[in-house]
Amino acid sequence: MIAHARELAPHECCGMLAGKDGRVTHHYKIKNVVATKEEGVKALFDEAKITTLEQMTSEERADIAFWMDTKDMFAAQKDMRANSVELLASYHSHPISPARPSPTDIKALALYPDICHIIISLQDPKAPAANAFRIANGTATPVPYHIL
Amino acid sequence: MVKVRIPTPLRTLTGGKSEVEAPASDIQALIESLNGQFPGLKDRVCDDKGEIRRFVNIYLNEEDIRFLKGKHTPVKDGDEVSIVPAIAGGCEQGA
Repeated sequence: MIAHARELAPHECCGMLAGKDGRVTHHYKIKNVVATKEEGVKALFDEAKITTLEQMTSEERADIAFWMDTKDMFAAQKDMRANSVELLASYHSHPISPARPSPTDIKALALYPDICHIIISLQDPKAPAANAFRIANGTATPVPYHIL
Repeated sequence: MVKVRIPTPLRTLTGGKSEVEAPASDIQALIESLNGQFPGLKDRVCDDKGEIRRFVNIYLNEEDIRFLKGKHTPVKDGDEVSIVPAIAGGCEQGA
């Protein structure tokens, strides 16, 4: 995930982790359509998301720094079903800010209150940080994790 | 009957089921039918005006319904509908 964050910097990267019983076995990198759009790579940009982004107010849009490509999400979820694993966590990076959810994260990620949300910070490029949270009802609660 | 894939965040409403079935002629009717079986589901998918929420994507047989007829997209027996809430977020302003 840290490598993915470095690869996409200065844009935010995003992805999904899946597994069973709280143990991650599958990692899916998901395209960040916001990053793609900013770079003007229209061919890679899912048109459904252009529509969606254009429906948002400019204030709402200005705060959105990552938006997972739904086609990639769809493909990841299909793979999860085929491997009998379930979505355990989302992750995204904060290239220049700390490893804690932003107000926009807390608003938008509340759609998934039952999974963990991991934030990778590259604020200190030599010492990337990662923290996991559960986000529900307008608050983010840190969740411990272990690397096996 | 239309088969509907329920995303993880909505499974608390479906008793943990990841797939459910409902009779319907279009997406709007499908949402109403699902809400009859699983009260509260419509509120998670639609806003106060009954429009599909901006952060929620609905796919009919892998096609985004925004490219079909939106909530008026017809469905038939054997179709597969997936509800996929967006995963999105933002940067910390001024951080």
